[in-house]
Amino acid sequence: MSERVNLAEFLTGFLAEAEEHLGSSRRHLLTLEVHAAKGEAQPKRVRELFRSLHTLKGLAAMIGIDPIVALAHEMETVLRGADGLGGRLELTAVERLIEGLGAIEQRVRALEAGRAVEPAPEALLHALASLEPAGGGRGHAAVKVALAEEIFEKLTESEKEQLALGVASGRTAIQLDFSPSTERAQAGITITSVRARLAEVAETVRVFPRAVPPSPEAPTGLSFVLIALTDHPVEEVATQVGVEGVRALAAQVPEPPLPLSSEPEAELAELAPTGRNTVRVEVSRLDDALEKLSALVVTRFRLARAAAELSAKGADTRELSATLVEASRQLRDLRAAIMRARMVRVSELLERLPLLVRGLSRATGKPVRLEMNAGRAELDKAVGERLFPAIVHLVRNAVDHGLEPGAERDRAGKPLEGRVEVSCTEHNNNQLELRISDDGRGVDAAAVARRAQVAEVADDAALLDLLARPGFSTREVADHTSGRGVGMDVVSRIVRRLGGALELFNRPGEGATFVVRVPLSITIVDAFTFVAGGQPFAIPVGAVEEIVEVHAERLVEGPCPRSEGARGRLFERRGEAVPLFSLVELLRLNGASDGHKALLVRLQGEPFAFAVDKVVGQQEVVVRPLEDPLVRVPGVTGTTDLGDGKPTLVVDLLALGARLSKAPKEVPQ
Amino acid sequence: VSEALHVVFKLGGSDYALSAGDVLHMESFEGATPVPGAPAHVAGLVQIRRRVVPVVDLRRRFGLPEQPATLQSRVVVVQHRERTVGLLVDSAREVVQIHPDQLRPPPEVIAQQAEGYVRQVAQVGDRLLMLIDVDKVIGEDTGDGR
Repeated sequence: MSERVNLAEFLTGFLAEAEEHLGSSRRHLLTLEVHAAKGEAQPKRVRELFRSLHTLKGLAAMIGIDPIVALAHEMETVLRGADGLGGRLELTAVERLIEGLGAIEQRVRALEAGRAVEPAPEALLHALASLEPAGGGRGHAAVKVALAEEIFEKLTESEKEQLALGVASGRTAIQLDFSPSTERAQAGITITSVRARLAEVAETVRVFPRAVPPSPEAPTGLSFVLIALTDHPVEEVATQVGVEGVRALAAQVPEPPLPLSSEPEAELAELAPTGRNTVRVEVSRLDDALEKLSALVVTRFRLARAAAELSAKGADTRELSATLVEASRQLRDLRAAIMRARMVRVSELLERLPLLVRGLSRATGKPVRLEMNAGRAELDKAVGERLFPAIVHLVRNAVDHGLEPGAERDRAGKPLEGRVEVSCTEHNNNQLELRISDDGRGVDAAAVARRAQVAEVADDAALLDLLARPGFSTREVADHTSGRGVGMDVVSRIVRRLGGALELFNRPGEGATFVVRVPLSITIVDAFTFVAGGQPFAIPVGAVEEIVEVHAERLVEGPCPRSEGARGRLFERRGEAVPLFSLVELLRLNGASDGHKALLVRLQGEPFAFAVDKVVGQQEVVVRPLEDPLVRVPGVTGTTDLGDGKPTLVVDLLALGARLSKAPKEVPQ
Repeated sequence: VSEALHVVFKLGGSDYALSAGDVLHMESFEGATPVPGAPAHVAGLVQIRRRVVPVVDLRRRFGLPEQPATLQSRVVVVQHRERTVGLLVDSAREVVQIHPDQLRPPPEVIAQQAEGYVRQVAQVGDRLLMLIDVDKVIGEDTGDGR
């Protein structure tokens, strides 16, 4: 890299757009692979893939990521050749293209992580180049366009050809130099707007940045060179684009025009504004809007309090109350609108899995069928991004360690092709449930027990606890006897950080299913507020089946020889025996609980009741997740501000119930 | 190498210090919301500038006798890596410049006794300031014992 320019500010936009085109390219390639195997031509898909890659190339060129440009360019050439053959691609070509896309993705990830971008692998470039069909119509035009040497060298062969052909057909080659600056940005003139406007009056051939000595004209020391072909006079282009520095490039036309061998107009249409009715918004901006909404909700609480005080003093607050109700509804709608903007399809999140599984299948030599069923479920973008690495870990484990090698499957009477299934369902309780299952050998609990040096593993929950022990996995890498373990501690940590839960259903010999439960979003919920041990709490209304009255004289106390932790009692409710726990005891709160109220929750069909001092009311609360490890405890999902400026804990009685039923010894100490 | 600004706080009659670069702000303390199941040295949660911050009770953390909060009690809000944590101290009102020459490692016996919470000792005039190891003090130990 000869140029060192700061392109950080363009990077965010690049990454967002690149992600989109990587996604569509992946989809197209996987479909093309299926058709190529059958020898079928897919002209439309080949073109679509071409466009995605072309746009990727243009974007990468704009921020000067040459390795991506080189890879995309070679892939484009292969596709142009295929297009010439009516959309027919050899399987080997698809293979190379998938490798190429993988290499591009690797480089995009490096950019994202702020790492250095490796040069494009020569061998792969060469392999792609050698796929070009012979005599693929790459006629060299004899037109020379007067470009500065250093710029001319930056152009690829096909770009030079494109310029030459354009000039030969009577168009004008132009060069536009644009230097971004704060003043220009304030006036709405950025490289993006310039590029878009230029595309309206000209055919953009190439955009790339270069370092220039800082000057009043180029205060950032950065300048973009835009090379284009136009039918319009240069002055008109300058007016249209709204910048100076547009000039025609002199050209010599020695021969009559050559026939066009490709359709540059069609390719370049991608660089023009698409007219789609979407805008890209950084998540942080939506977060900001939510944060401001949270403040508004708190203000409404204060208003409601003030109104209640007025009312208590005998003032007529009917109109005020009605307005408050109206404000509540509007706040709720506004929140829903913002939350919707933050949601992404789970199917979009899972888009990268087929390629991952394909790679794993290749690496392990195990044929794998991936079944994905995400339906129309949606997930908050932030949650999705955090969760995705966990899903990747689980899928990787399923293929690497879950599925048996062919011979073993054969002996077990299973089809040779292993099955990995990823499905998800949305729960009413603001939860998303993702299931990752395979039909492999399951987890060998005895082997895990040996490794962990414990006598026996009581159940699947205990097995998962062992697998998720930090460091347990690393010893597993070399041998596969215990079946699982790579990165399970990582998976478990990710899920817990999101306030979710991880479960394992092990079917020895038949496979394993991991269930991940995470909150759909970080959000505002309708909640009951209650007091236990003198401390206020909130719980989402959706998590409570009902609020019940308990009478001490009707409580049954069972034997409890190990008198540690909270002791459960029983009461009868509509023909069901319901265990009752005192929240004060369970949470080790100060003060005694003397109330008659209990919150009834249902965990996998089983009822649990938690006694509290009193239930205060029902209101909307803004839940802020608790992220610091010091306060990340089971049973507490977050905090809310009830208007007194103090954090009130939002509890998850389901999680508390789950702990009680699974491991009575693990009551919070 | 030049002098660096440090925030000084008091705890049980001794002076401690931490780099001012780690400190976001200081607030008076009006009680925290206890978090059941959190480690014993966590006083609870406070809301500071629209942000919910866990507070470590440094008396409990350092094994000093408990003492009710006073008007002088302060929450020193530190930003460490990606975490924001409050430290509850007896008082905090002073900022000093410390030159690297004034710093030395704590005597072996003290270092052991302090379990690593004291990183360095600074001599400022005739006073000894103990520089705390923020990383160690706010620890990563989670509440559920895993």
